[in-house]
Amino acid sequence: MNCETCQLKELELEQDEIKDVLRCILHTIFFHRTLTLVRPKDVDCDLFEITYVQCGLPDLEKEVDEKINQFIAWVEKHPNRRSQVCLSFFDEKNKNPSWFTSKTERIYWEQWFINLHVISPKGHGKSRSSKASTSIRGKALEEASSKRAALGLLIQEVLFQIINFANEKKDHIPPISDRIFNHEISIPR
Amino acid sequence: MSSMSDSGTGGRGGAELMVEQFHLKVLHAVLAVRGPRPLQPAASASFRRRDRWFHLPLHDPQPPPAAEGVEAPEAGEPLVVDILLAHAAAGGGGGGGAGGEVVERWTVVCEPWPDAAAGEGIPVNRAYKRCMTMLRSVYATLRFLPAYRVFRLLCANQSYNYEMVHRVGSFAVPLSRDEEAAMRSYQFVPVETQHGRLVVSVQYLPSLAAFNLEISSLSPSMLIADYVGSPAAEPMRAFPASLTGATGSAFPQALSNQPQRPHSWATPALWPQAPRQQARFSPPHLLNASPTPSPPNFPSGYLQSRPKGGSAPMSIPQVGDRRSPIHRPITLPPTSPRRVGETGTSSAQQSPSERCPSFGRADGFRIMDPYASLSPGRKGKDTKDESGRFSALSSCDSPRQDDIDDADYPFAVDDVDTPSSQPGSSDGKEARDQASSSSHKSQDAAVGSLVHLLKTARPLRNSNCPSQASAVESSEAASTSSVVSRRKSDALEELQSFKEIKERLMSRSRAKQQEPPEKP
Repeated sequence: MNCETCQLKELELEQDEIKDVLRCILHTIFFHRTLTLVRPKDVDCDLFEITYVQCGLPDLEKEVDEKINQFIAWVEKHPNRRSQVCLSFFDEKNKNPSWFTSKTERIYWEQWFINLHVISPKGHGKSRSSKASTSIRGKALEEASSKRAALGLLIQEVLFQIINFANEKKDHIPPISDRIFNHEISIPR
Repeated sequence: MSSMSDSGTGGRGGAELMVEQFHLKVLHAVLAVRGPRPLQPAASASFRRRDRWFHLPLHDPQPPPAAEGVEAPEAGEPLVVDILLAHAAAGGGGGGGAGGEVVERWTVVCEPWPDAAAGEGIPVNRAYKRCMTMLRSVYATLRFLPAYRVFRLLCANQSYNYEMVHRVGSFAVPLSRDEEAAMRSYQFVPVETQHGRLVVSVQYLPSLAAFNLEISSLSPSMLIADYVGSPAAEPMRAFPASLTGATGSAFPQALSNQPQRPHSWATPALWPQAPRQQARFSPPHLLNASPTPSPPNFPSGYLQSRPKGGSAPMSIPQVGDRRSPIHRPITLPPTSPRRVGETGTSSAQQSPSERCPSFGRADGFRIMDPYASLSPGRKGKDTKDESGRFSALSSCDSPRQDDIDDADYPFAVDDVDTPSSQPGSSDGKEARDQASSSSHKSQDAAVGSLVHLLKTARPLRNSNCPSQASAVESSEAASTSSVVSRRKSDALEELQSFKEIKERLMSRSRAKQQEPPEKP
């Protein structure tokens, strides 16, 4: 079985935006690849004007959040680094079953690479006059909001990239079982 | 499960049914989030048979009733769903309006194979699985697009200057060049079925900023007398018997039979007439009634600038620099009276500090409160007669009907009821008795004399005002003069007497402390 891979467009973001961005992307992928009967749930991003869909599976939500928190912890130790979060779907097959051993082998059939560049926000030096500092702060806020709006548009592009890939590549998907496909979320170590 | 277990049939008939169901499912998915209406949470926890198609139930929100009547188009015909934003005055609503600008156009079509035999080799279950993925993509895209934000706004408040309408048909009204240029288009990867290629595409405006969505109430100005929670709508709602009698709780029976007090902004004509309500503060009778039942937004000093003939309200000394709640504009609409059964928590169980969020434990009118040492039970009983006089102190920033009804404290209460003295507990009364008996006799005597002094004190009312007894007889006259005038001089006099009493009590307590303890 061939493994299809999708490299998603790199997103440049700040640390406080990681949770929203990863939740949105990961849940959108899961929604397209969880073909069992689900109760979809609409979720609004906290920082962006984007609504995405979750499968409505509490265990999956918990797993995603745990992995995101682990990734944030890694980012704190490695600031200003390009990084990759990988979501893989696989099948498990028994490899050389014998009387004594039953080793299982993972056969990956799809991998999604979420490329992120986490940057530290620029700190503004202290200004002597309060008027000047106010204007600088105002400019910084304006800059930050326009930057966030631009990131929102990029996220939307990535979401359409997911939709495209999910619909183009379908022949490799194994038969639908009565549960969610085996998967793992890998973060840098 | 990969087979079309839900369709019940395989082969060409199964494929036909699948295509038909796919068209309907897309239509329902679109209208569910493009037909603004007051949304209700999903009713049933179980899946209906129709929900099982493509393993995607449309339950949150469910498609509007209008969607149920639409039938799938004939084979080979497209299904076109136009989403328009029309001016609220012009739009007919519910999909009929031809006016308005197209903000989204969804097209679903099964393009037949040029050669009938071309699709024979395509297994139905494979096509079905692909349709599942495409439908999920449609479902997700519907939420990514800007029209979804507008849909949510219009669901939350339907008094915007625009309304979202839809047009369903098998023919697409051609768009002008300008419209076409302004729109982006996206085509989902087609799914090959035995009947042809299933194609879903969407044309959409990338930004809806050009539509200046504003809340504009177009309904004519009228006074709504029977708004929810108004005494006119539900004049005297008593507490259920299960709460007051059967449970054996400490909840006062008398309260359940009392007529409800009016909302602070309700016009006096709507108030249930009770003699002790006439002395309460109320905003002046407004002639320019707003079309909505929300409270009037008074200027900050509406009580200071009074109509001629009435003196200024008595000024209450502040603790710290906190403004008195009666001098604040009332901007928050109170909730309508709740049934205890509905919410699960009765406001009677709230502590007084919860009821009046503007007063914490530390910032009540402690200096003014001669009942500070009394238990809550006594407080309510002894001050009934005084409820009209200092009602200003008991009003919170936004008085809520049910909160006011639960207790008749004329002052901001500092001491919070312990769980034992709350309704539902049997030993509340005993706890209260213990608390009151534990204080010294001398203190009790001092407080008793103070209460007596207050009861016999000259009332803060104009001599020409009708008494409470006559107010009962002429309730109509009393309702129009909702604000009882008070004189500054009287208020200052009263304040002076309070200060004297306070000084007397303080000196007594100092003397008590200096006395050597008596030998047993």
